[in-house]
Amino acid sequence: MVLASLFAALTAAGAYLAIPIGPVPIVLQNLFVFLAGLLLGSRWGAASVAVYLLAGIVGLPVFAGGTGGIGRIAGPTGGFLLGYLPVVFLVGRLTERRPASGARDVAAMAAGALLLYACGAPWLKLATGMPLSQALALGVLPFLPGDALKIAAAAVIAKSLRPLMRMP
Amino acid sequence: MAELSTPHRRWTPARLDVRLKLALLCTASLASLQMQLYGLLGLLLPFALLAIARRASLGARIRELRWVFWILALVFAARALFTEGAPLVSLGPVAVTRQGLQEAVNACLRLALMFVLGGVFIGLTPTGEIKAAVQWYLRPIPGVPAARVATMLGLIARFIPVIFAEAARTSEAQRARLGDRRRSPVGRLATFGLPLVRRIVLSADRLALAMEARCYSELRTEPELAARGRDFLAFGLGLAMLAVALAV
Repeated sequence: MVLASLFAALTAAGAYLAIPIGPVPIVLQNLFVFLAGLLLGSRWGAASVAVYLLAGIVGLPVFAGGTGGIGRIAGPTGGFLLGYLPVVFLVGRLTERRPASGARDVAAMAAGALLLYACGAPWLKLATGMPLSQALALGVLPFLPGDALKIAAAAVIAKSLRPLMRMP
Repeated sequence: MAELSTPHRRWTPARLDVRLKLALLCTASLASLQMQLYGLLGLLLPFALLAIARRASLGARIRELRWVFWILALVFAARALFTEGAPLVSLGPVAVTRQGLQEAVNACLRLALMFVLGGVFIGLTPTGEIKAAVQWYLRPIPGVPAARVATMLGLIARFIPVIFAEAARTSEAQRARLGDRRRSPVGRLATFGLPLVRRIVLSADRLALAMEARCYSELRTEPELAARGRDFLAFGLGLAMLAVALAV
């Protein structure tokens, strides 16, 4: 429970923690969502993200920009936020109870990233009224290189941290 | 004896029962989806003034919320440019339409209202009370461990400042070792993320041990929540305001 809360807090803090690489700084929020799936597994990973979303929905300032409230869910990025829940479950499901393998971790996170885009882009289209091609161009394509880097970094971090984690 | 007696606390909207405040916030968020221009403006302006009045520095508030303005600008541009209707101005292959402009203004006001209401709610309510209200709402739902969820909410609030402090320390340590000059982006991400998550996981481990050592359980004494007549009156007034905003 403490680790699940910790990853929920990391997901909240991840919106502010940015690494300046290239013209678009990399925000660490989905890196921590991927790590929650890899290190906590599907059940506790999903619990962690669900509590994070609940905290945001009831108004705690855990979403990007230090705000919370149902407004962020109804806004253009709401699909990406809600998408974290199936993503963490999928990443956890694909990697838990199996021998640790970097290739499997990367494949699971790549599947998770695709699922996140599948949740986020249509929501962005609905919230803004723009065509799907524009929503993909604005909400998916600019983030592909950053997400590839995050997946690679998360695989390295997960490999190093697994011995430290004592999940029930 | 005066200091031992409970001080008289004047009732203000900030002391409205948190469960009713939360219910009002959710109702307002849902109702705003059906509101039109004047209803949205009529609700947004007083709450925006209240939010501004509660801040010592308007400039600081605007700096904090600059990303909200970006989101609103994106929604406005997308709605104005991609809604079909009678064109007002043509910008190359796309045109700003009358219907698009109306849609854009309404969508932005709706979002702004939700941001402002959320900000006012969080500004007027202590975190402990929000946690207790969430637990109260979740308790009747079968299969949801309300006390555990409330404990996790409390732990999130406790961990966030620790994470920022650790992130600042890690970043300084990386800079001192010229880590910011590392060329590989994966290397930069991993050298920042790895020590950060490792330190925080170890601190969570210490916290878990301390909680076990103190026989911490999810059954805590929560803040007492009590809704009185004035709370229900304020709630009713809030609902009436929403009904008027929906009607205009």
